[in-house]
Amino acid sequence: MAGHDHGSQHQFTGFAKYFNSYTIIGRRNYVLATYGSILALVLFFKLKPKKMPVTEK
Amino acid sequence: MMVNSFSQFESPVFLTIPLILLALILPWAFYPSRLHDDSSNRTLTLQNWFIGRFAKQLLASSTPKVHLWATLLVSLMLYIISLNLLGMLPYTFTPTTQLSMNMGLAVPLWLATVLVGFRNQPTLSLAHLLPEGTPTLLVPLLIIIETISLLIRPFALGVRLTANLTAGHLLIQLIATASLAFMWIMPAIATLTSILLLLLTLLEIAVAMIQAYVFVLLLSLYLQENS
Repeated sequence: MAGHDHGSQHQFTGFAKYFNSYTIIGRRNYVLATYGSILALVLFFKLKPKKMPVTEK
Repeated sequence: MMVNSFSQFESPVFLTIPLILLALILPWAFYPSRLHDDSSNRTLTLQNWFIGRFAKQLLASSTPKVHLWATLLVSLMLYIISLNLLGMLPYTFTPTTQLSMNMGLAVPLWLATVLVGFRNQPTLSLAHLLPEGTPTLLVPLLIIIETISLLIRPFALGVRLTANLTAGHLLIQLIATASLAFMWIMPAIATLTSILLLLLTLLEIAVAMIQAYVFVLLLSLYLQENS
């Protein structure tokens, strides 16, 4: 059945243990990481200081 | 007087009273409740048989948690099918041709299925947003696509019902107008058009029932995904 975690996590080591598209936890972590990256990008562009135009006197 | 083809879909108002309220309450009158002494008659028996049969068929392959929604789903199905079929009568107004009404049904119910999922099994609900076995390079793209597909579901539910019913009623009106127009000029063509109108009406009756079933079926599927 799709998404069973029984005994499959021992196959993965390192990064793949937490981020893979086979186990429920792995898929969840991928989703959270993607959403977190998008949120970080949005916040970065929103909070980036805007350059003030130089006015000539 | 018919100003344009879409006049039939305008929400009727009489002396500033919106008659859509009457149209929405009307199906209630067609479903008898229990008799005062708990006895039964043929109408009640038939009604209960149909409701039981439908509920079993809809929820046969679902978990007991989904069965808690049986009352809501079955009553929603009866309501929509009643509104759709009553709208097939001449000169009646069909509330389910109004996008606002269908979105009013679809959005809260879809949102409820999503929130139930996130509340009871947040890990599984999040994991569903990435199909199993996705290649690593495609993971971010597929997550975004699955999220968009999730968010578009209520719009699809509402617009599907609206579009099917609106298109059907519009076609019936156009073909009936054509049939009437041809009657004195070309009776043979008018006869063929009338036969087409009859077949179309039968199709629309089927569509009215099928669309109600599809609405409720999809909601139950969304619920099963999240339970």
